[in-house]
Amino acid sequence: MTALLAIEGLAVSYGRISALRGVSLQVDSGEIVAIVGPNGAGKSTLLSCIAGLVRPAAGVIRFRGDAIAGQPLERTVRRGIALVPEGRHVFAGLTVLENLRLGATIRTDRARVASEIDAYMDLFPILADRRHAPAGTLSGGEQQMLVIARGLLSNPALLMLDEPSLGLAPRITDQVYDLIESVRARGVTVLLVEQNADRALRSADRTYVLNTGAVRLSGASGDLRGRPDFEAAYFGLDLVGGQA
Amino acid sequence: MMRDLILRAAPLLALVALIVAISLLAGMADTVTTRRVILCLVNVVCVVGLYIFMGNSGVLNFSSVGFMAIGAYVAALLTMPAGPKGMFLPDLPVWLAATELPALAGPFLGALFCAIVALAVGLPIMRLSGIAAAIATFSLMFICYIVLGNWTSMTGGQISLMGLKSYVGLWTACAFAVGAVAVAFAYQETRWALALRASREDAVAARASGIRVARLRLGAFVLGAAVCGAGGALYGHFQGTLRVESFYLDPTFLLVTMLVVGGMRSLTGAVVGCLAISLLTEVLRLVEVGIPLPGTGAVVMVAPGFGDVVLAALMLLILLFRPNGITGGREILGNLAGSGHRHDQV
Repeated sequence: MTALLAIEGLAVSYGRISALRGVSLQVDSGEIVAIVGPNGAGKSTLLSCIAGLVRPAAGVIRFRGDAIAGQPLERTVRRGIALVPEGRHVFAGLTVLENLRLGATIRTDRARVASEIDAYMDLFPILADRRHAPAGTLSGGEQQMLVIARGLLSNPALLMLDEPSLGLAPRITDQVYDLIESVRARGVTVLLVEQNADRALRSADRTYVLNTGAVRLSGASGDLRGRPDFEAAYFGLDLVGGQA
Repeated sequence: MMRDLILRAAPLLALVALIVAISLLAGMADTVTTRRVILCLVNVVCVVGLYIFMGNSGVLNFSSVGFMAIGAYVAALLTMPAGPKGMFLPDLPVWLAATELPALAGPFLGALFCAIVALAVGLPIMRLSGIAAAIATFSLMFICYIVLGNWTSMTGGQISLMGLKSYVGLWTACAFAVGAVAVAFAYQETRWALALRASREDAVAARASGIRVARLRLGAFVLGAAVCGAGGALYGHFQGTLRVESFYLDPTFLLVTMLVVGGMRSLTGAVVGCLAISLLTEVLRLVEVGIPLPGTGAVVMVAPGFGDVVLAALMLLILLFRPNGITGGREILGNLAGSGHRHDQV
């Protein structure tokens, strides 16, 4: 396997507050990699930094071998990285169909895009039923499916998802993760950020535990699930002097 | 295929029919009413120009009256007969003093000049968002006002410029209003306008989809400024006289009110808002002058300035209770067509 995304020594500060410190990680082609951690761990900052929304203070981000840190968001997607931001950012006043079409902004193969949109409509009949309805009128789960489909329509090599299960019922969360796994099966690499560590560990090949801006633990998801120090790393108990 | 095209163009056809119908009715009315309608149609051009940028991008824009002024003065300088030009503007450069183009070239050249100016000033401004962008466009209008008001050799400064060719009648104004609506509609059907509306809904998600927001905003700003420039040229030639004072705060507020009241998220909103506010201001003007109540001898009359207060209050009420305006952001007949069409129908 080759490293699709490689990050070394990444540091981000908001003024005097240090959000990420010396973060290094690697995502190989065809993997699902999860970054888990509690609220405020720096997970979203990490994705924002890869996407180009936040400029790092130090460190290197390489995608397919090219240094991409600090480039604007609209260029990141042209390199093959799609970001699905936290909070289901649908274009609320635009129709479902327009949302999907906009996902393919950078593409010129119109016929192919149209057939892919049809395929998503088949996959999610609710999107087909509501194709001319404003996206803002969809339910939370439907909106999440829509933004993932929209992200995929840019034809990315790497799909980055920020908190895909946030605010969703468990049944809907499972549907979202089924979609994520089917995405990987089609050859798209996935990097996802989750507070819901249990759910992320079940789907991800490898997982990084992030807390207070640093990687505390990493490894194959199956191994991490059974490890006694996982919870300590997740909740930062190792930082306050062992078991509380 | 043909049917789809017609359904898709239904809002445009409906708006054109509305404008032509109003013009036909005005043609049968007395001279004063006809002149009011001509002014209203000129305002339609300007409000539609404002809509092209503000409606699609969602960025507040106060600069359109500045572009109207530029368009008006460019048209006047290029088309005025040498006689009045030499009298009012004796210090003009020789080539400009000698230039007298056909009157109808005025709005087009005014539009072109505005587009060039908008491209130059828009490059930095379109990178701004929210309140910063709104203040920047306001400053732009202010700069236009100050420059035109003090560039005595070119504009006559504070002196009124008289003797403009008078060619803006009912059907000229109608043709330009229809033209402006057609341009705005054609633009909003493009992929660029759709992408710009996406950035209006969610800037981060738009950029994450690869939409180059600043570039698209600039395109809409330039097109909108050109339409406003044409509107300004028509306004000047309709009045026959140009005063810098005509292009300042009052019309700025009026145009924004028309768009907001009609609904800034649809072209129908721009046109309907302009018509509704024009009608309302006319009624208010009559009441300020005094309307005799038939049979009683009494006269209904309100204090001067009442009209402005009503307009401002109306804007406030719309913002509070119907932020998407009279039209609710929908296009007239917009629900006939399906795919690729305007969005806001529920």
